[in-house]
Amino acid sequence: MATAETGIGKAAKRKEDRRFLTGEGRYTDDIDLPGQVYACFLRSPHAHARINRIDTGPAREAPGVVAVYTGDDLAADGVGGIPCGWQITDVDGQPMKEPAHPALAQGKVRYVGDQVAVVIAESYHQAKDAAERIDVDYDILDAVVSPAEALEEGRPQVHDEAPGNQCYVWELGDGDAVDDAFNRAAHVTRLDLVNQRLAPNAIEPRAAVASYSRGEDQYTLYTTSQNPHVTRLLMSAFVLNLPEHKVRVVAPDVGGGFGSKIFHYAEEAVLTWASRKVGRPIKWTAERVESFMSDAHGRDHVTHAELAMDDSGKFLGMRVNTKANLGAYLSTFAPSVPTILYGTLLAGQYTTPAIHCRVTGVFTNTAPVDAYRGAGRPEATYVVERLVSAAAREMGMDQAEIRRRNFIPRDAFPYQTPVALTYDVGDYDATLTEAMRMADVDGFEARRKEAQARGKYRGIGYSTYIEACGLAPSNIAGALGARAGLFEAGEVRLHPTGKVTVFTGSHSHGQGHETTFAQIVASRLGVPYEDVDVVHGDTDRIAFGMGTYGSRSLAVGGSAIMKALDKVIDKGRKIAAHMLEAAEQDIEYDDGTYRVAGTDKEISMGEIAFSAYVPHNYPLEQLEPGLDENAFYDPTNFTYPAGSHICEVEVDPDTGKVEVVNFTAVDDFGNVINPMIVEGQVHGGLAQGIGQALLEQCIYDPDSGQLVTGTYMDYIMPRADDLPSFRVGTQNTPCTHNPLGVKGCGEAGTIGSPPAVIDAIIDALSPLGVRHLDMPATPVRVWQAIQDAQGSRAA
Amino acid sequence: MELKNEQRLPVSRQKAWEALNDPDVLAACIPGCESLERVDDHNYDATVNTKVGPVKARFTGRVTLENLQPPESYTLSFEGNSGQAGFARGSADVYLDEEPDGGCRVRYDVSATVGGKLAQLGSRLVKGAAEKNASEFFGNFTRHLGGEPEGAAEEAAAGSGQAAQAEGGGDSPRTGYWPWVAGGAVVVLVIIILLL
Amino acid sequence: MHAFEYHRPKTLDEAAAVLARAEDASPVAGGQTLLQTLRQRLAEPSDLVDLRGIPDLYGITREGDSLRIGAMVRHNEVARSREVEQAIPALAGLAGGIGDAQVRNMGTLGGSIANNDPAADYPAGLLGLGATVHTSQRTIPADEFFVDMFETALEPGEIVRSVDFPIPQRASYIKFAQPASRFALVGVMVSQGAGGVRVAVTGAGPAVFRVPDMEQALALDFSADAIRDIRVPADELNDDIHGTPEYRAHLVTVLARRAVEAALNAG
Repeated sequence: MATAETGIGKAAKRKEDRRFLTGEGRYTDDIDLPGQVYACFLRSPHAHARINRIDTGPAREAPGVVAVYTGDDLAADGVGGIPCGWQITDVDGQPMKEPAHPALAQGKVRYVGDQVAVVIAESYHQAKDAAERIDVDYDILDAVVSPAEALEEGRPQVHDEAPGNQCYVWELGDGDAVDDAFNRAAHVTRLDLVNQRLAPNAIEPRAAVASYSRGEDQYTLYTTSQNPHVTRLLMSAFVLNLPEHKVRVVAPDVGGGFGSKIFHYAEEAVLTWASRKVGRPIKWTAERVESFMSDAHGRDHVTHAELAMDDSGKFLGMRVNTKANLGAYLSTFAPSVPTILYGTLLAGQYTTPAIHCRVTGVFTNTAPVDAYRGAGRPEATYVVERLVSAAAREMGMDQAEIRRRNFIPRDAFPYQTPVALTYDVGDYDATLTEAMRMADVDGFEARRKEAQARGKYRGIGYSTYIEACGLAPSNIAGALGARAGLFEAGEVRLHPTGKVTVFTGSHSHGQGHETTFAQIVASRLGVPYEDVDVVHGDTDRIAFGMGTYGSRSLAVGGSAIMKALDKVIDKGRKIAAHMLEAAEQDIEYDDGTYRVAGTDKEISMGEIAFSAYVPHNYPLEQLEPGLDENAFYDPTNFTYPAGSHICEVEVDPDTGKVEVVNFTAVDDFGNVINPMIVEGQVHGGLAQGIGQALLEQCIYDPDSGQLVTGTYMDYIMPRADDLPSFRVGTQNTPCTHNPLGVKGCGEAGTIGSPPAVIDAIIDALSPLGVRHLDMPATPVRVWQAIQDAQGSRAA
Repeated sequence: MELKNEQRLPVSRQKAWEALNDPDVLAACIPGCESLERVDDHNYDATVNTKVGPVKARFTGRVTLENLQPPESYTLSFEGNSGQAGFARGSADVYLDEEPDGGCRVRYDVSATVGGKLAQLGSRLVKGAAEKNASEFFGNFTRHLGGEPEGAAEEAAAGSGQAAQAEGGGDSPRTGYWPWVAGGAVVVLVIIILLL
Repeated sequence: MHAFEYHRPKTLDEAAAVLARAEDASPVAGGQTLLQTLRQRLAEPSDLVDLRGIPDLYGITREGDSLRIGAMVRHNEVARSREVEQAIPALAGLAGGIGDAQVRNMGTLGGSIANNDPAADYPAGLLGLGATVHTSQRTIPADEFFVDMFETALEPGEIVRSVDFPIPQRASYIKFAQPASRFALVGVMVSQGAGGVRVAVTGAGPAVFRVPDMEQALALDFSADAIRDIRVPADELNDDIHGTPEYRAHLVTVLARRAVEAALNAG
């Protein structure tokens, strides 16, 4: 029943937390199959090397070893390379360069961590011992890790097929219109920005257990995936050449993904293939150092951006040139992230009439780069908002005022941007006004003075961001290069006793779908929330699914469930008409009860369900037994969450340490199903966004290509004491094109927050002459920026 | 990693060059050296047990010599592996300068890479460890020459070490001899500098 | 982790015997560095000698002007000890700032100083307070105990029993944490007591070191202003992604000043 505690819009406690908090979660590494053996992957210690010879002999003879395989063994069995799911078309009309991505290296290794061989043994430690005995004869080659350097003449070439290390050059927007805008401009703001590389750091490392049943000729892969159906499709159709119906992929409880578990990884295919070769189930769980080396990383852009304005601060045009690091191989969605998910977002919340974006995708000797929470949209927001804030400073304008002057007005929706998107709805003034109220912007100057008295520099920074979520309308995605559809599937099954199982192609790895989806279904069917269970993550139980990323689960997966619910309710109406002996068009449905209009004749959903499975007197020609409906939902547009983030920092000028003292986020997520879960998602997103702004960075040694930040001794994760108590609010305008009116909230915090933090620091340090700062604003970097600014003043 | 350093030795350049090139001397002075063997005129194999705090790793490696200018300078390149710990590779330019007081000065200019687990886990320690090992080596070596580390003023007594015995009595070494002994020297330097 | 023989002796003599007998034995105290190293397979000791079963290595006692802390006393015990808090609050603060709660519940004083990590906190505590280390064989002043990066005066098989800390008139330890590891990027212990003024720095160089210029200035005038312009040379200091030598040199002065102020406020 839509009770006070669990109805739509209520902060129902998360169903899944009972098992997580009592240690009853079932993760991939918890799965042990009879006869199981263990895999250890030998990985390249070199960023770039030719493999002359691999001697696996001593490893094969090591205690407990079952098998050792290399790329040659895969090739001999006709195993294909890891496919890419998105094709970008070059500015010349040519397809992007798509070099082979062997599941185990063939001939060459191209980044530190590239898989060279796999050892399978009775225990993990035996596999690891044996892996140390594999002798690989490498010719070490020069490496290149920075996207800007990789494009220069004479640099090491990562793939012969991609001369100059260029995967593609992609353009969006009207270059002539932009040139014209810049010619007319009264002021131009120019920035060079680095959006640094991040490691995803899910708390659960990647893991897989693969098995093969000879009797049924059936493969089963348990894996840490955000989208098991996609993994099954890619692996069966493109890598292993297996019939899809003979492969079951299960993603059980998954401990966080942040994008890194969307992709089909080589380890999954190698284990699945090898499980048949050795005739036993095989388990592999990444060690944390392996995660740092081999999980797909995020971001890694180098950008030059320019904004043209008239003398009132009205934006006339924007020009963006980005070099995007794709790493050594194309991960599943890699090409789309710095293009479709980036260039299209450069309008932000503004009416900028002319925008042109040019992106060069670059191969380097680094781990593949792909979607990481926000995926393209944080990079776009960082460019737009840093430009806007810098422009305001340069023109002496108030940060709120320059934004309001350029906001797309509330009555201008649907709004067509010059970069391909049509925003359906929004009210940007409203979120900014509310954020400024919650952040007590009026009291800031007093706080700044008080901080000054304590020797601290205090600053305030703004970010008014937009994102395109609810990925994605298949027709738009297809036109933009997607090799798959981006719909979602949902099934609602009423059991004879009126209990409900919901099957969703979305995957929950921290998002709380078991709660949110149950709230929707319980409310719509009028059954108790406790009577609804949500099943996800198993290709044998769920018809199909495209998984969870891009803040799509509720907007797309939830909408599919809504469609299935409509079908259930429609069928229930037929059953009710039969049972109540009334015409179908006379049956009204409300909150779990069918009623003959204008009478007191009614029947509950529970009775309908029972009758559906006990069809003793059904008119079988017109009415099919059972109450179980499946639906696919393909959105007609993206959703456009947007919001205003305001950050206040204090900087200790003696040490360069930045403290985020206040952070306010007011977001427009459309309708909210569970405000507690939404707030949690925002908190997590803010932690990651602030983490990027202040702390996190994956560093490869520029000369050797070695990963220097290979452990938590050097990779800086945000921790609770790095963060303030957030002030979070919403100002919602319902999405106009999905049945729930929802937009998605999973990425907003990560997308909106980084520029607010950086601009707050620049604002704080502007009295000292600091004008620019790159992320992450670590103490040494901030201190150095102060020294440099003071030095150049003195000079 | 870039490392530049120099060390004063209390013997003439010629003697230092020769001493640096006696594999027995070197093996005795290199912290953790297990073996040092000539493969041919320009290649040497070395095995060294290194220790940095709790980390212990056994490296095997090969040194290749180039640009030999006895007794003034040479360049060497090195690659060494330690299965579980990773690898080290790089090159060093080594110079021996005469000092006005009759002693000499060894300068080394190293460009090196540490890879694999050592790079991932130990980046904060690599340079300090390399410097420490270099200093330990030169301490041992200077003592071996009969001096005191850290700028002891006395010249080493003639004939105090095997180096002097190996000198061969003249400025012109036997054919094939110099590269061989020079190899010993560079092995030492690279090992101590590159191999933690 | 490679296989090894595990021993849990009950006395120091027994421990020493195993260490002497085994091919390549390693003592293990709290294991907060060693076990990680073993898990990464970066060491292969033949034997591990677990010191946790030796009662002589425990205990915190005040004896006159000095505080004795057993080698196997864990960081959290020091951080929460009334004796330490009353005698040398700066030392309790130092111990309470090591690592995280899990590390503090396992890591020990003896293990930390025997390891002598260049960024560990305790070496600064011992050197900055002028402590004395008692081992299974002898007594070593802190000034001689810490030799170089990961190197101490301990001989093979020699085991730390306890540390005597003279109780200073005033002292303070200020650490600027490396943001990832939370080891000391730079940590400075300042003390003033019967033995004079001591300033010890960890994290900045290859090993803990004293700053004589600051000690002399503070001996004449124990105030933050007295050392305002005293800089340690940058060229000997550590360089990594978290801090340049120049930054570390700058932090030494900043933190030393703050430590002096904190010591004055506490005292």
